[in-house]
Amino acid sequence: MGEVWRVAISDSFNKFLGKVLTFLPNLLAMITILIVGFFIAWVLKVVLLRFLKAIQFDRVSERWGFSQVFSRGGMAYSPTILISRFFFWVVVLITLILGINALEVAATQNFITHFFNYLPHLFAAILILVVGYLVAVFLGQAILIAGVNAQMESAKFLSRAVRWFIIVLSLTMALYHLGIAEKVIIVAFTITFGGIVLALAIAFGWGGRELAKDFLDRHYKEKGEKKEGPDQISHI
Amino acid sequence: MEQSFQIALEEIKETEILVGIPSYNNARTIGQVVRAVMAGLAKHFPGAKAVLFNSDGGSTDGTQDEVRRVQIEDFKTILASHPVYPIQKIVTPYDGIPGKGSAFRAIFEAARILKAKACAVVDSDLRSITPEWMELLLMPIYEGGFDYVAPLYTRHKFDGTITNSIVYPLTRALYGKRVRQPIGGDFGFSGKLAEFYLTKNVWETDVARFGIDIWMTTLAIAEGFKACQCYLGAKIHDAKDPGSDLGPMFTQVVSSVFGLMREYQRLWKEINESQPVPTFGFHYEVGVEPMSVDVERMIGHFRLGVKDLMEIWRKVLLPETAHWLESIARLSDEAFSFPQDLWVRIIYDFAIVYHRGTVHRDHLLKSMIPLYLGRVASFVKENQKSSAGEVEENIESLCQVFEEMKPYLVERWAGGE
Repeated sequence: MGEVWRVAISDSFNKFLGKVLTFLPNLLAMITILIVGFFIAWVLKVVLLRFLKAIQFDRVSERWGFSQVFSRGGMAYSPTILISRFFFWVVVLITLILGINALEVAATQNFITHFFNYLPHLFAAILILVVGYLVAVFLGQAILIAGVNAQMESAKFLSRAVRWFIIVLSLTMALYHLGIAEKVIIVAFTITFGGIVLALAIAFGWGGRELAKDFLDRHYKEKGEKKEGPDQISHI
Repeated sequence: MEQSFQIALEEIKETEILVGIPSYNNARTIGQVVRAVMAGLAKHFPGAKAVLFNSDGGSTDGTQDEVRRVQIEDFKTILASHPVYPIQKIVTPYDGIPGKGSAFRAIFEAARILKAKACAVVDSDLRSITPEWMELLLMPIYEGGFDYVAPLYTRHKFDGTITNSIVYPLTRALYGKRVRQPIGGDFGFSGKLAEFYLTKNVWETDVARFGIDIWMTTLAIAEGFKACQCYLGAKIHDAKDPGSDLGPMFTQVVSSVFGLMREYQRLWKEINESQPVPTFGFHYEVGVEPMSVDVERMIGHFRLGVKDLMEIWRKVLLPETAHWLESIARLSDEAFSFPQDLWVRIIYDFAIVYHRGTVHRDHLLKSMIPLYLGRVASFVKENQKSSAGEVEENIESLCQVFEEMKPYLVERWAGGE
């Protein structure tokens, strides 16, 4: 009985020791990955910070309207700091995932494979959103200024409409790219913009007949008057 | 440069005088301009070899044919004798981006190849040019040792508003030289200066368009070339729709001025006061054509700008300046007034932000147009009953405000470094 008991204890201990000995290198690998990963993240942050400062990225962000968006969203940091921190945390996240992967625990393997497959889509979606926002801000501002210089009372409305159209369009594209409710997104987008166009067509074609007539009357009348030159000032 | 054009220049070999006429669809007026130039050269430079050079932007109305066709049949009607050398004519389209500056570049090239001593350029849509303009623009260079001759005109009191409200006062405050018409369009310059212009790589910028005039003037002053101005009399252009090209004209001129401010910042920061430049020509009173100005429309444009563009302007102006603009926009048409010191502050603020690049430059300049029209409306209202002399005094007082407020520019400019 004593012998059986001793063998059982010894086997159990040997199995445990075997598992520990198998796990220990993985643990050490994880710790090494974490240390190296955190170090790379820190170096990347410092290098990015210096590079963005050198190219005066904050100034460019101000020009493109990023700074305003950040400050409106309550961000107290400059775009340079935010971007360098963003990449720091991206590397940290990747490091953590690699570290967990190094443990070779079966439950995490599947999750990590999925995560890495999804990562390119995530970055593409972020890129679409950023570019979409930049284009929206730029075109919105250009239309606003052109509208004011053409003396259009509705310049601001037109500018906002264009800006939001591009933002919603890029959001739709980003969600589609992420594979989130693809069909629902496309249908919702089609219905919304189709509805807007139809509503505008009805409003202008039916409800705004008189308005459109007045507008065209005034437009051509002004053009006709211009030929006679009521304002003959030469600017140069 | 086109090969045929190069061959034509090489055949001529050398010239003492070169007169350039940039053109684009000016068939109606260019004949008269060519006649005046030919008569002026024959009358005032009878012993000099001269070339008339038409640099055309691809006219479709027969402008080039008109230049080739025009001849002075009988020089005895205007001269005591025939000129020693016949005046050579070259008509050629220019290369590069379409614009006045590209046309000028071809003229500079021709001056370099022909080793011209004295050159002049005159607008092709002039209705008031006389043969004497050739003497006035060329003689200070040909015999007087000057490198640059700017024009002086008698103009309608409300004409040349970009010149009077921005370019002249700002250039004068910055570089300390009182060149009254820095973007006049008709200039004289030496072959040496033409060669210097060609060393600059600006032909893909706004300088290649409407910015050429202020670029030429600024470089002549800032680089220490000997500059003067000559009184030419009245300046009357062919009729055109002035509203049609305000946007590009305004942005191209102002972007060139602001761009030059960046280039010559070390120079202008050290200049504290302005000096007159030598002035030639006999000043006489001439009648100028009356004109109508739609002040209400300009004020309306300004108000719309205040309503819709304040979001952009706030990135440029100090809060108190923005507040001041809002209070002006609330005034009635009758009480509307855009003070000089506010205007100067705005110009300096826009120049600073253009330099810093924190707002997209094209948007920045286009967003200035309602402010400019507000200032012009106020200027027209203030001077409705003023004589030409009183208007000139008003412009002089604006120039003084520009000079007095220059420390504000220097201080804020340095803050952005």
